[in-house]
Amino acid sequence: MWRPASVDRPTGVFIGLIIVSLVLVTVDLRASGAGIGATLREGVQTVFTPVQRVVAAGTRPVAEFFEDLSDIFSLRGDNRRLRDEVIDLERRLVEAESLEHRVAELEAILGLELPEELDSIVAQVLAVGVSEFDHSRVIDRGRSDGITVDMPVVDEGGLVGRVVSVTSDVARVRLITDPSIRVAVRIERTGETGVLTGRGSAPMVLEMFNTDAAVVEGDILITADGRFPAGIPVARVLEPARSEVGFSLRTIAEPTAEVTRIDFVRVLVFTRDQVGIQDLEDLERPPIIIPADQAPAEGESEEGLPTDTKFPTGEGEGEGVTGQDPGTTGGGG
Amino acid sequence: MNTALKYRRIAVTVFSIIAATALQTTLFVRFRPFDAAPALVLLVVIALARHLPAEFALFTGFAAGLLEDLLSQSPLGLWALTLTTVAYFVVRARDRMEEDSALLIPLVFVLTLGAITLFAVLGTIFGEKTLADAGFVRKILVPSIYNVVLASAALPFFSWALGVRQPANLYQT
Repeated sequence: MWRPASVDRPTGVFIGLIIVSLVLVTVDLRASGAGIGATLREGVQTVFTPVQRVVAAGTRPVAEFFEDLSDIFSLRGDNRRLRDEVIDLERRLVEAESLEHRVAELEAILGLELPEELDSIVAQVLAVGVSEFDHSRVIDRGRSDGITVDMPVVDEGGLVGRVVSVTSDVARVRLITDPSIRVAVRIERTGETGVLTGRGSAPMVLEMFNTDAAVVEGDILITADGRFPAGIPVARVLEPARSEVGFSLRTIAEPTAEVTRIDFVRVLVFTRDQVGIQDLEDLERPPIIIPADQAPAEGESEEGLPTDTKFPTGEGEGEGVTGQDPGTTGGGG
Repeated sequence: MNTALKYRRIAVTVFSIIAATALQTTLFVRFRPFDAAPALVLLVVIALARHLPAEFALFTGFAAGLLEDLLSQSPLGLWALTLTTVAYFVVRARDRMEEDSALLIPLVFVLTLGAITLFAVLGTIFGEKTLADAGFVRKILVPSIYNVVLASAALPFFSWALGVRQPANLYQT
């Protein structure tokens, strides 16, 4: 075999292994998470799960000890903060009871059918990703427990992520903080919709398309995305939104779930809505789900589409177009 | 190299990579001071590559990386490429490291920093958006510092475990 005189054996092996690595990367990317890579991943994860279970059982007390130790330093501040919160919560409780009563009355009047309680599977986090850039968690429930890919995962605070791969015993959950994740959300207070994008360990970015929307600190963002049940808390706005070059409003928000310190989670047995749902990841502008309870405005059809749309003819351009891009109305057919 | 020592090194290599991977993925589930964890597998590859024969060290880096790839969502081969590169640099630098032990700790820091940066850059090239992580600088700096702290115990331990008193010859296979 030809080999330049200046390349010694270790360097030759190194170059060979780099080429093999690049070929593997290319093959795996072309397979888009399926094929031989997926089979190998499932096999290795299945073999490695018992090892992880044993090591997790052994190291959990050690980790908890150090965790408790680090928590002691923040306990005093937490105590003071919690006392204030209790006072605030007591006040809110009184308000909530009153609101609850009103909501019950209104529901009765409107005859609303509330969605049935979703089934869920409780799981514990078994392992984390191998690197700091791997925003995923391995949970100790898998296909044999009824978990399938795409199921939403929540904790007591709200949305944690969704299942991206599953073996017979464990499942991998991609966290909402992953930079490749985008979740369509709605501001609970106003009903305005936007898109939330993960940024790793930093606060998530919220982008609102309506530049007139009022987004204030403390606003709770809930799911408005066909991949998740509607109304799950996702994040809390940290700063009032500000307009960026007039196209959208932007601000930052932190997840309501303890994403970096989750231990027990609930996997919701939820099959995604098949209507108009695409994989939102890597899309520039994911589709926003229009609230079903919005009554069609005058001049609109039941689907909320303008019924009197006229396309610009060149004369009196824009006349009759109700602020919608003709291409999106589907009225051209 | 006698047969017993050869088998001992193979056993230590295989066991330490599996143990490091298992610890990396389980110990730091909730215990993450400064929201980061040491890069244990990377540290083990550095410690092993110091003493293993050159080609075996390279294959060890590749195999450890492949195991990490298979246990993560990153493209298959990304960690393999990164850890093979780390092993190669250790193999190239180890003679100098043994001559001047003061270089050991800074080298662990530089190698960890360089390896995580390489992984992040390659990840972004291959569409993983790793550089989009706003905590990027902290995520390469903190594990590098942890590795430096752990290296003072890990490096002598692996020298003992591999039965090495003298540094291995660079071209010994």
